[in-house]
Amino acid sequence: MEPKSDLLQGTLDVLILRIVALQPIHGYGIAQRIRQISRDVLQVQQGSLYPALHRLEKRGWLKASWGEAETGREAKFYSLTALGRKQLAEESANWRRLSEAVTLILETAE
Amino acid sequence: MWQRKKTAENELAREFRYHLDKLTADYVREGLSPDEAARRARLEFGAVEQIKEDCRDVRGRWLEDLGKDLQFALRGMRRSPGFTAVAVASLALGIGANTAIFTLIDAVMLRSLPVRDPGRLVLVTRVMGDGNPGSVSYPIYEHLRDGMASLAGAEAETAATATIVMDGSDELLDAEWVSGTHYGVFGLQPAAGRLLGPADDTPAPMAPAAVISYRYWQRRFALDPGAVGKTFTIRDRTFTIVGVTPAGFEGTRPGRDPDVTLPLQMMLTAEQRGEPTNNMLYLLARLRPGVSRAQADAELQVLWSAFQAKVAATLPIKDQPTILKQRAAVFPASNGFNALEYRYRQALFLLMGIVGLVLLLACANLSGMLLARAASRRREVSIRVAIGASRARVMRQFLAESLLLAALGGAAGLLLARWLSHGLVTMLANGGTLLLTVDPDWRVLAFTAGIALLACLLAGLAPGLHALGNAVNPALKEVRARGGFGFGKVLVIAQLAISMVLAVGATLFIGTLVNLHAVDPGFQAGGVLTFGVRVNRPYPPARSFAVQQELLAHLQSIPGVVAASATQVMALGGGLWTRNVQVEGYAFRPDESEEVGFNAIAPHYFATLATPLLAGRDFSERDTDTSQKVTIVNESFARYFFGARTAIGRHVTSVKVTYEIVGVVKDALYRNLRDSRIKTMYIPWTQRPGDQPSSYAYLARAASGDPLRLSAMAERAVRETDSELRIRAPRTYSAMVDQGLVNERILATLGGFFGLVALVVAALGMFGVMAFQVSRRMNELGVRMALGARRADIVGLVLREVAAMLVIGVAIGVSGALALSGLARNLLFGLRPTEPGAFALSAAVLCLSALAAAWLPARRASGIDPVSALRHQ
Repeated sequence: MEPKSDLLQGTLDVLILRIVALQPIHGYGIAQRIRQISRDVLQVQQGSLYPALHRLEKRGWLKASWGEAETGREAKFYSLTALGRKQLAEESANWRRLSEAVTLILETAE
Repeated sequence: MWQRKKTAENELAREFRYHLDKLTADYVREGLSPDEAARRARLEFGAVEQIKEDCRDVRGRWLEDLGKDLQFALRGMRRSPGFTAVAVASLALGIGANTAIFTLIDAVMLRSLPVRDPGRLVLVTRVMGDGNPGSVSYPIYEHLRDGMASLAGAEAETAATATIVMDGSDELLDAEWVSGTHYGVFGLQPAAGRLLGPADDTPAPMAPAAVISYRYWQRRFALDPGAVGKTFTIRDRTFTIVGVTPAGFEGTRPGRDPDVTLPLQMMLTAEQRGEPTNNMLYLLARLRPGVSRAQADAELQVLWSAFQAKVAATLPIKDQPTILKQRAAVFPASNGFNALEYRYRQALFLLMGIVGLVLLLACANLSGMLLARAASRRREVSIRVAIGASRARVMRQFLAESLLLAALGGAAGLLLARWLSHGLVTMLANGGTLLLTVDPDWRVLAFTAGIALLACLLAGLAPGLHALGNAVNPALKEVRARGGFGFGKVLVIAQLAISMVLAVGATLFIGTLVNLHAVDPGFQAGGVLTFGVRVNRPYPPARSFAVQQELLAHLQSIPGVVAASATQVMALGGGLWTRNVQVEGYAFRPDESEEVGFNAIAPHYFATLATPLLAGRDFSERDTDTSQKVTIVNESFARYFFGARTAIGRHVTSVKVTYEIVGVVKDALYRNLRDSRIKTMYIPWTQRPGDQPSSYAYLARAASGDPLRLSAMAERAVRETDSELRIRAPRTYSAMVDQGLVNERILATLGGFFGLVALVVAALGMFGVMAFQVSRRMNELGVRMALGARRADIVGLVLREVAAMLVIGVAIGVSGALALSGLARNLLFGLRPTEPGAFALSAAVLCLSALAAAWLPARRASGIDPVSALRHQ
């Protein structure tokens, strides 16, 4: 079954990679961060987030480990692998190129 | 694997719980009550189970689902232990039989010698009349070893038994006399000491060397390194043990592990060393790197023709064609001199075909049973498909079931195969020794796994497809779908056809064995004990004949022995030796063979074996070395040379000795039961003073009972004759005759057994399908009865269906058997592969058993009470 996503396919992946790149972080934290940084513009559904996390982990871009969260409870922390770092660089570049292109079209066509 | 899956599930749950708790905490902080916060958190998070499913999908769930399918299948199997037991047993029989035969094929044909690069080993040798490799003479060996540039090395060897005396006791060993190049060709490293080399292989070495096998080192010396350096004697030569062959190397002939290897040159006589037609050696060579077998063969042909032409030139014109028509070839030999392969290959392949059909039959049968179960599970399948299971998923469920059955059947089959293959080796050895490794190796395990998987697919696919084909609509609507069960009939027809092929095979093989037993060999083997003797040191000529005669006198005086004698060649035990003869009053045409068979025998030979003397007299003690040389000829000899005229009193000359014919006896078969009758001359041992007692086989006919009971007394007779003399291999004559029928007996036994199994399986399949049909048609039959159909009509209705399946099944079976039975042509005797009688008998038995199986359901159908049948629905 396809993951339901409000975001463009692939966009969620790059956002997750970017957030995880800052520091090892759990699923709840990722959702929070994306909302905060985008100033509540982007809201990630758990139904999309977790399958994406598991997919990225399976591809070897993320690795997961259990650690103590700020509250003292055990949580599953995701961190970036070397492969993930490379992927992030590529995807960010792609994204920038794409958004520049979209912007260019929108502005030129005005 | 299950542990990992469990952890993954657990982690998923913990991960989600953490997230939910954090969300709940957020709402509590915003001022909601804990209950309300938890509700809102769950609402925001979404459908936990759905997200979990998505995550599982992402992580790959193949194994997990397979586990679930298997668990489900296991539960189903526990619910119907009867079905499971029958299914597993029939698969175990099919898989076990296949594995057992394959194990033997593996042991006899596929295992390579444990030597360096066995794939480069070849036999360079004469080709026998049957296309199999033969032996070569010492001059041929030297010629090829030195002349063939394609070979990196060549070795010659011959097998024999030898009595050794070591530490004051004597022991009979399997020995191999090998050329000095032997171990070099194989590139072996000794387990202790050193191996034989070219320096050891001279006719009269200063210090004769011997190498013992690892097995013998273990058996006699318990792996004591002190064994190297010990000495033993064979006859009057003293040998020193110089080394031990590596563990795992069991000589070059599968089935035989020589205890000791000795230098070849020491045992060769001057005649053997120089005579190019005395073929008594086996030649194995290693190809030079980069040279193919075909290239070596091409080179061999050139050298061979030149050599044979040279040999032929020294012979009389008449004998030249025999030499010139001999062919040589290069054979692959990664498993050495594999006489077993040539002897048993055809029988093993046939058996493989038979058990392959048995497995196919088991699959068809299992498929039929699963199909019947699938029919009853149609509603379940429909519901599963209706609520969203994909077709592949449902299919996998069915395959998981048959996979489980196949795995259980395969495991049970492997156990069965161990037992079966040991039994087969015992049957092949037939009382002798046959060292074959039948422990399953990777090839056997892979084979078993492969056929189990194949069985799983064959048996599971059809029911699954069938259940899917009928999915959803008709089944949910409780409509009794028509058609559908047609496939069940196809399976029964397949079972009938396979059973027909197996039954024809069984009939042909059993018929062959019966025919062979019905052949009159010209003597009566039953009730006769036979044995050989051995002695450490040959007797001087003056003594040896006295020992023979004394031994015979002792034998004859044993109570319970009615007659005793001795012979050089045992009838049905080997070929006669042949010589050219000149016959008084007979002129040979230039192209006519002058060869006849010879055998040397003691007096009373014909009485002991109950061969009728047709004219003249038997040999007696009065025929001595100094009296007129006499001979007894067989009927074929007398008829060929003298026709209707009397043979008695005529003279035959061979190798400058003239014999007077004093008797004529009935023909006896020597080589085997399929042999043709050969013109034979018997000559008395009383006129051959140079023979050794060990060159004769001794025979004693018991007055009654098992002749083997005489063996203790025979042993005493041997020791009383001479304390140095030992009895050797006492056994009944019948056992020896049986040895020649090993292939035929195995084929008849296993062919007959599997033929019977096939009949039972086909009958059960027929019973199952008809019982199911009748219960399905209960309504219709009830209506027919209500409308006035008689019982006979109903039985006829059912049996017509049976007859239709039978006709088709038998027809397919007959054409299959016609196509296949030709493969067994060489192994049949007195029967053509297309013998109509065998086909008719098989078809009759198959039809009878199928009809008998259908009788019960038909009876039940005719006993239907219309009223209750209509209420049945």
